[in-house]
Amino acid sequence: MTGSMTVLRPTGLATAREAMLGTAGRLVISGAGTAPDWGGPLGAVDAVLDTTGLAGVVRHNPGDMTISVLAGTPLRPLQDVLAGHGQRVALDAARVRRGATVGGLVATGDAGPSALAFGTLRDLVIGAIVVLSDGTVSRSGSHVIKNVAGYDLTKLLHGCFGTLGLLVEVILRLHPVPPATRTVAVGCPLEGAARLCRSVLDGPCEPVAVEWCDGRLLVRLEGTERGVASRAQRLADLLAAPVLDEGDAEAAWARHAEIVDRRGDGAAVLRVGLPPSRLPGVVASLGASAVTAGPATGVATLRLPPEAVAAAHAAVYAAGGTSMLRHRPAGCDAPAWGPPPAALPVLASVRRALDPDGRLGPGRFSPWMDADLDGPR
Amino acid sequence: MDPRNHAGERCRSPHQAQTRHEAGVGGPEEAEVAQTLAMCGGLGTDVVADFTAALGAGSVITDPVRLRSYECDGLTGYRQVPGLVVLPGDAGQVGAAVRLCARHGLPFVARGAGTGLSGGALPVAEGVVISLQRLRRILSVDPLDRRAVLEPGVTNLDVTRAAAPYGLYYAPDPSSQQVCTVGGNVAENSGGAHCLKYGFTTNHVLELEVVLADGSVVILGGPTGEQCGPDLRGVFVGSEGTLGIVTKITVRLLRTPESVRTLLADFGSVHAAGDTVSDIVAAGIVPAAVEMMDALAVEAVEQAVAAGYTVGTPAALVVELDGPAEEVATQFEQVRRICERRGCTRLHVATGEADRARIWKGRKAAFAAVGRISPDYFVQDGVVPRTQLGEALDRIAAMGADAGLRVANVFHAGDGNLHPLVLYDADAGEHERAEKLSREIAELCVELGGSLSGEHGIGTDKACSMPRMFGEEDLAVMRRVRAAFDPDGRCNPGKLLPTPRLCGERPGPFRPHPLEAAGGIERL
Repeated sequence: MTGSMTVLRPTGLATAREAMLGTAGRLVISGAGTAPDWGGPLGAVDAVLDTTGLAGVVRHNPGDMTISVLAGTPLRPLQDVLAGHGQRVALDAARVRRGATVGGLVATGDAGPSALAFGTLRDLVIGAIVVLSDGTVSRSGSHVIKNVAGYDLTKLLHGCFGTLGLLVEVILRLHPVPPATRTVAVGCPLEGAARLCRSVLDGPCEPVAVEWCDGRLLVRLEGTERGVASRAQRLADLLAAPVLDEGDAEAAWARHAEIVDRRGDGAAVLRVGLPPSRLPGVVASLGASAVTAGPATGVATLRLPPEAVAAAHAAVYAAGGTSMLRHRPAGCDAPAWGPPPAALPVLASVRRALDPDGRLGPGRFSPWMDADLDGPR
Repeated sequence: MDPRNHAGERCRSPHQAQTRHEAGVGGPEEAEVAQTLAMCGGLGTDVVADFTAALGAGSVITDPVRLRSYECDGLTGYRQVPGLVVLPGDAGQVGAAVRLCARHGLPFVARGAGTGLSGGALPVAEGVVISLQRLRRILSVDPLDRRAVLEPGVTNLDVTRAAAPYGLYYAPDPSSQQVCTVGGNVAENSGGAHCLKYGFTTNHVLELEVVLADGSVVILGGPTGEQCGPDLRGVFVGSEGTLGIVTKITVRLLRTPESVRTLLADFGSVHAAGDTVSDIVAAGIVPAAVEMMDALAVEAVEQAVAAGYTVGTPAALVVELDGPAEEVATQFEQVRRICERRGCTRLHVATGEADRARIWKGRKAAFAAVGRISPDYFVQDGVVPRTQLGEALDRIAAMGADAGLRVANVFHAGDGNLHPLVLYDADAGEHERAEKLSREIAELCVELGGSLSGEHGIGTDKACSMPRMFGEEDLAVMRRVRAAFDPDGRCNPGKLLPTPRLCGERPGPFRPHPLEAAGGIERL
């Protein structure tokens, strides 16, 4: 992208559609710009579709615990507003701290440690309004969490990296802010963390997050004051480890987010998902310089030398997992994705159905998608 | 085998009565009519020979009488004898059957236990029903990674049975869970009483092996929540058999909660019960289940199964909490206090597992029980935002009064999923009025900002109401997605999306979403 790039900045559905139709060429959708190099390297585009003007709450129904927001709304300030109602979007992706937008988080399929309890945004988005590259406006879902009318098109937008359409509005399911939170931390290597995690999960404490980073296993509990205090003590006894005080707990999770989010030093960042029992062994074999790993979710974020990325993709794939490049250091030409999935024909077919000219986000699924599909030659 | 005998929730409808009359009752007359039907819809001998060669004679049904047992699912009002039924024995044979359908240009309908309540498994004339009843192996239960790999014909409850020795269970629990299949649950994105807290089938499926309409096999989803690319598994779940046939399913298993507590509370009005639900939610409590029944439903249930509900109470609320013992104990006390503050007239706390099972037996028997107080009924499945429950119930009562029909209400109050049962007597000529009222109730839910269906699906039943909820562009996009999976439209045609054949050239007008009308959102 150059300084002279056309930037389209819609502020509502009508201008979003105009922006989409008013440009013939290829577009990249950009929110707060917190994940510009996730996925495949962006091909040549004619304009940037900037979603930051699509900001604000459309409708918050506190009694129904649902909210619709324009897709360019940053999640962090939204959480502050919701906290006033004792509610939250149950998502703690690391880059929320840096201003990531709701639409951007959906499009990249990003999630944090609490995905263990609440799932990812695919589980929290209950509706959306989308503008396709031909100007078609598609609405699905509504302000109810239980809804099986028609295809759940919101799912297709989750993880599409802006290649299927522009999210204009997103309806989210909300959860209550728990009265109390505690974290128990136990120092251990990753292999040992997996064993300890197993004993935690086999017990009745129902943690919302279990993550290993910086040589410690962090176990987070949420609930009522009394319930959490008692469960934290049970966990501390089980793990022979302390319950962190509030400040230490916050610092530990901030540190986790910082490691997930860290860039620089010429390292590549790879996000992997593996069957949980395979995670420690595979991660240990990859030679990462920094690791956060969820032994319960099977999801890990690794810093790797650029030359190790291709082998890491292959190792993760061989173990039945998936992997994606989240940061590509300058000069790194490693593939963004692992070997193509068996679903690739369907993925390509859905892409052709919704963005027939391949106008949106060219290159994001390279090397899976060929040039033909990524746009007119 | 008559799959209908296994239906967990079903309603008799006048169509059924009519069909019985038309066909005569038993004897040669019935066989004759069936044979005629089969000949009209039947497939050529060359086609049958191909299926027989591929699957074996024991897996191909051509006998007209046997074909008739597949003519409908749990929604018995819609009936169509299929041209052919095949019973593949494994995923490879499902693929072979689908490829033969492709070669002969035949539409096909996948079928599990046939318990669906929206006509989603209604056969297509001159089409093939692919029954998945023989694919019922649990391929693995992995207590370490907490997942199970299943064939689609495994019943919902059998997953939990297989997981129970490890202290694990499968969370989605539709009322028909003893007989309905996980494959059918995937097709319908089935919920159940506990989905307020635990979500729906879509939240518990990790990976699907799917045979597409061209016979190719793809894997959708992956081993974790981490996605690489759009969530194709997510769009497949709930697609009602219109995108392909699932042949292998990997589901998540959860640890059995340490503590479960259940209470049954009576209220002087459905409004008071509804306000109680709102207060519980506002207190930051996410119950495992919140179910409500009105006076008529309670009356029916008590006549049928004597589950300990109070006959005559205007509203009965079942609240269940589960989780770590300390949490449940604390929040259960809060719920009790809220019920009392809202003036509950009786509060019964389940004394143990047997008592709890009895309360649930009453709730889960509600549909069948209503059959005892009315010769016929329609069941609807619309959803309203929880805060609109009172308004919805008032309007439904008024609409019922206007139509001169009784409506029993049994519903998942926590997530606003109504199950109004429109009672009528076909022999008294009430059928059309009842059908209209039933449809209007579903459409009322859309008007109140909700949905036509919470868990039963659109199927054949509500396809023509889809334009009430979605605009033409919305439906056109769904058709594009459908064509991406199944370009020739041979996968369960006539379901989910309205068609001119089914609904007339111009299915009912699209009404703007209330938020659009209020200027909250815009549409071009």
